[in-house]
Amino acid sequence: VNATQLKMIINSDIENVFLISTVINRLCLIAPLSSDELFQVDLCVVEAVNNAIKHAYGNESGHQVEVTFALYPNRLTFEICDAGKPMDTKCLPQKGVPSFDFDPDDLANLPEGGMGLLIINEIMDQIIYATAEGKNKLTLTKFFQANESAS
Amino acid sequence: MLNSRQERDILIVQAEIERLDASVSGTFKGTMRDFIDNGHNMILLNLSLVKFIDSSGLGSLVSCLKLIGKKGDLVLCGIHSNIMAMFKLTRMDRVFQIFPSEEEALSSMPK
Repeated sequence: VNATQLKMIINSDIENVFLISTVINRLCLIAPLSSDELFQVDLCVVEAVNNAIKHAYGNESGHQVEVTFALYPNRLTFEICDAGKPMDTKCLPQKGVPSFDFDPDDLANLPEGGMGLLIINEIMDQIIYATAEGKNKLTLTKFFQANESAS
Repeated sequence: MLNSRQERDILIVQAEIERLDASVSGTFKGTMRDFIDNGHNMILLNLSLVKFIDSSGLGSLVSCLKLIGKKGDLVLCGIHSNIMAMFKLTRMDRVFQIFPSEEEALSSMPK
């Protein structure tokens, strides 16, 4: 498969997430994305890495989180891998279901957490989560606008 | 991280960070809670130096709004366009009062 790839590995410490974000920001400049889209795919990767550290590893440092960036002619994919506790797939939001369906005037019930996956669901075109051989892999795909109809 | 000054009954807080993310959201929320606990219920948060916010950062802003409750308000200004797009995506643009600049926010806040 004709892709430009880069794999990054960080220690599972929330302080390290900006390292991935900084590299993704630069890498995505080679993809045909608008400034808003670039910000948003970076945000999705940050949310996925945060989730791996917080939920898969329970905020415990000393484990690896891998992020693989791959640029294809019509899309960008990110694989976020950890070897921690698998995510309950019920947590994965459904495509096409409104993610942020809350009453903005109902102060007490405004969401304070659990928004990471919802943001990813809104921004990414495809989300696949799989666990195999002790490794959890979240694959996020963003198709480029011009090729969207052909994909 | 947060620099504050008082103008009329409004506490103007400048976020002096580039990223309001999971690594700082706890400290951010703690400092904001101190302001609120000290009686500051009308807060204008200037986010003009912030270039990135993740869902933890966003959640901490919502927490502050809830802490203030009906006693006052947390008003935001100086939000970069990329972050504004994220506010719209999460519908938080309908939750917070948002102004382009400190001056515009101050002129529409209660005197």
